[in-house]
Amino acid sequence: MTSLVRYLLVDVLRTQRWLPPLLLYVAVLGMLYASDAGPPLPAYAGTCVLVYPVSVWLTVVIATAEDPVRRTITVVTAGGWARAQAAVTALSVLAALGLALVAALVPVVTQSRPYPPATVAEGFVALAVCALVGVGVGVLCGRPVITQAGWSVLAATALVVLVFLFGRTPPVGNVLWSLSHDDGVTSALTISGVLAVLFVVGATWLGTAVGPRRG
Amino acid sequence: MVRLDRIGKRYGRGPWVLRDVSLAVEPGEVVVLRGGNGSGKSTLLRIAAGVTAPSSGRVSRGPSVGYVPERFPTGVKLSARDYLRHLAAVRGVPVRWELVEALGFVGDPSAPMATLSKGNTQKVALAQALHATDLLVLDEPWSGLDAAAAGVLGGLVASSEAAVVLTDHHGHDVPGAREVALGAVRSGGVVIELDRVGEAFTLISSLEGVFAAHEVGGGARVEVRAGFSDGVLAEALRLGCSVRSVRS
Repeated sequence: MTSLVRYLLVDVLRTQRWLPPLLLYVAVLGMLYASDAGPPLPAYAGTCVLVYPVSVWLTVVIATAEDPVRRTITVVTAGGWARAQAAVTALSVLAALGLALVAALVPVVTQSRPYPPATVAEGFVALAVCALVGVGVGVLCGRPVITQAGWSVLAATALVVLVFLFGRTPPVGNVLWSLSHDDGVTSALTISGVLAVLFVVGATWLGTAVGPRRG
Repeated sequence: MVRLDRIGKRYGRGPWVLRDVSLAVEPGEVVVLRGGNGSGKSTLLRIAAGVTAPSSGRVSRGPSVGYVPERFPTGVKLSARDYLRHLAAVRGVPVRWELVEALGFVGDPSAPMATLSKGNTQKVALAQALHATDLLVLDEPWSGLDAAAAGVLGGLVASSEAAVVLTDHHGHDVPGAREVALGAVRSGGVVIELDRVGEAFTLISSLEGVFAAHEVGGGARVEVRAGFSDGVLAEALRLGCSVRSVRS
């Protein structure tokens, strides 16, 4: 599994398609923290709103870096769709957690307000939860579940916007609300964390089920 | 080893691409699938390799499978060396670059595969599959290869310890290979192309053994079941037609 993840990583790095989402991420993160971003937890809520769509985009890039034909070779070589899909998810989760870690640490360096370790940890978990939801959405919007790039973009946009429309609904809305109001952060993170993990596993399972039907 | 047990495949509610196909290939055995365009050869190969799940029936195969698709994609940014190295690592076996060299690879092994010619890309695609030890599934493996590489591939396939299933449009010779016909099997059907048919067309199309006849210009293309071609030819000549070609 490690060598499969490494192969997917090397391959996606060669495509350079990861560059646009990463530039967007760095640019917005820079704007958010260029001046005083306000109290730490509401500021983290702001970066959660950023991390979520960027990790969707990055996951779609990782899922579609190989074209469909080369993916079939990878599937056969790896020993089945389940392993290939699991590797795509694993790499996307690693990338998303990387985004979350950066977003959690940047304000510690740039902001003049105190960022105690407990707050940074809370911020990281919140960012990680939103990033994981992004991975789940990305897996649902990439191959083999959605095979055409146009539909992929539409579905990803719709799912990203949908989450923000539903206010305090888990898994993202409740995290944003609790961070903004500094109210019930731990319980919101627990609920959303469990939901996010289940969502990612479910989306990966769906890809495993759909792949061999479409293949 | 691979065992397909009464395989059927259809996409959604579409027509059956394959129906009730059974095939078993033992280790060291080579099976060449024959059939016209659209007879389901590639689909059967994808099912054998495990890319596609059959709609009905069962498949069992060994764990180490190698697959070469009909067309290896162009525009791959990885280099040939990196691609082979990573895929061998995924299998957990040491990379065998000598397979690529045996096939007569020409080009820069550390340049992006997108810069390689079709034939050299095909050699890399073949080499990654030849790392497998249980089953080789090769869709038109000879496409793009020059004569020398084609000969080497024939040898590699014939001497492989894995079970081999392949398709081939060009009639390459694999010693000891078993042929399996697929699809709306016109097994042994003969296509006769005639000129100067004129009014004899209706007569010819009603001859015994003719299952399809089309007028083409002033001539005709007649599809005949095996065993009836001589009679049809003799009758066509007697009626004053000229024979342009006979193919089976």
